[in-house]
Amino acid sequence: MTTIQPTHRRGATRLTDAGRDIATMLWRDTIRTARQPEMLVFAVVMGVFFLVLFNYVFGGAIGAGAEVDYLQFLVPGVFVITALQGAQQSSMGLATDLAEGVTDRFRSLPMSQVAVIAGRTLADAFRNLVGLALVALLALVMGYRFDSATGAVAAILLATAVGFGFSWLGAAIAAKVRQPDMVGMLSMFWLFPLMLASTAFAPADSMPGWLQPFATYQPISVASDAVRGLCDGALDTGDLVLAVGWTVGLLAVFAPLSIRIYTETD
Amino acid sequence: MANALAKRFGEVVAVDDVSFTVGASEVLGLLGPNGAGKTTVVRMLTTLSSIDSGSASIAGHDVADDPDAVRRVIGLAGQSAAVDEKLSARENLELFARLYKLAKPIRRRRIADLIERFDMGEFADRPASTYSGGQRRRLDIVAALVAEPLALFLDEPTTGLDPRSRAEVWDAVRSLANEGTSILLTTQYLDEADQLADQILVIDKGRTVATGTPESLKRDVGRDVLEVSLLTDDDLQSARRLLASEEGVSIDPEDCRIDFSITGGTRQSLDVLRRLEDQAVNISDFQLRRPTLDDVFLALTGSSADEPEEISR
Repeated sequence: MTTIQPTHRRGATRLTDAGRDIATMLWRDTIRTARQPEMLVFAVVMGVFFLVLFNYVFGGAIGAGAEVDYLQFLVPGVFVITALQGAQQSSMGLATDLAEGVTDRFRSLPMSQVAVIAGRTLADAFRNLVGLALVALLALVMGYRFDSATGAVAAILLATAVGFGFSWLGAAIAAKVRQPDMVGMLSMFWLFPLMLASTAFAPADSMPGWLQPFATYQPISVASDAVRGLCDGALDTGDLVLAVGWTVGLLAVFAPLSIRIYTETD
Repeated sequence: MANALAKRFGEVVAVDDVSFTVGASEVLGLLGPNGAGKTTVVRMLTTLSSIDSGSASIAGHDVADDPDAVRRVIGLAGQSAAVDEKLSARENLELFARLYKLAKPIRRRRIADLIERFDMGEFADRPASTYSGGQRRRLDIVAALVAEPLALFLDEPTTGLDPRSRAEVWDAVRSLANEGTSILLTTQYLDEADQLADQILVIDKGRTVATGTPESLKRDVGRDVLEVSLLTDDDLQSARRLLASEEGVSIDPEDCRIDFSITGGTRQSLDVLRRLEDQAVNISDFQLRRPTLDDVFLALTGSSADEPEEISR
């Protein structure tokens, strides 16, 4: 039996192969996502919870005396938080994947190992996009108004991108821990401080002074501010630069790191 | 193929100095009790675990230096690998074929062929999570075949299968070997190694304890046993008196049977039978039983093959 083996593979071939592998894994993970609609439902329900609870429970207190409509303030923040929740789900999903025996088969295949994680994070980003669109529809029903359709699309895309950045942080944790319940607990440590000590639900100047620097510049805050700017048609370029910067930074650190952790052999 | 392989996990030596070669169309049975290091050997050869010392090459590619080239020529199935539970058999095969970078027309044809050849049409379009144990294992092995590997690794391919599914797996292994594939099969079932393997390597606690063909192992370690059934208890007693001086005689009063451990081949068997006949001992039946690999295994590892299941990693 003979087979023709390329003896020398050039960088360009490797890159094309990696692209094909990512596309293949994205195809696989999209099928998996479609067969688990409860994941999408869960992501949307979380968004709906935040929207409805914060608006009707805290809205009165937070908005009292102020000239602002709290719903107008809240909705962009909920976009970012929903995307962040999606990233956390992505992390737990990946841990489940990695605990399955099929991962060993992937590692014995002549494929780009980046694709195993990238396929999952990309598929989850698409799921996030669908989830955010549904949350946006609900917001419209509740009386929320975007400044423009373009702004709405840009806002949802930016929130998804930030979520994608965080999904690689989650991927690194998942690759290391590989136990879904453990990953779920660990994610509380980054998820909750970022989520609540942020400008997603309340402006930074309403917080105590010692918290303000963190609450102003941490990624969820700048992302909320930038998304809010896009929604309202009053974008502060500084916020956008910071939000994109955080996302790129997360990718630059955690994408190589998670792949290194994942490919470590025992 | 493998030379002086060794693997340590911290202080524990999992595999120590294991060497073998498997040629085309050959099946090597890696036999050993749970925790013997079988799976570790497979994981090292399939690039899933690093090799601590020694070397291995598959189809001329060094496993440690060129894992990508090795991955292109191997297939892996069994407890070290699995399939995607959410996808159907057809989708699983499509997934692995794409990852092997097979061109679309080749992919199509190959998947259709495999589904037909391994009789998976009936369940090929249902998610794998709905499969029976046998169906899932069949898909698992077929998934290792999409790229027509030169070397196939089957890690305990029949553990936990019912007898029918097991026979199906055996048929598949035989026909793949006939087509020229080199196969490394790990198993804790002696009859499986006996049925399928051309060469057997018995390992225990990471070390090679015996190697050879099934026949040579049985010849070297086990002995033939002549079982003579007698008509009555009186016959049994006279046979016992007659052969009291012989070594290797055991008596089974319940079945009215005497077992002789034979070292001198057919001649000795005939001699024993003739002596009984001369004394007018009534023989109802006799047979010469070849040693089973079970006897060999017991002699070599000092433990029975039927130890409790354990997930080895």
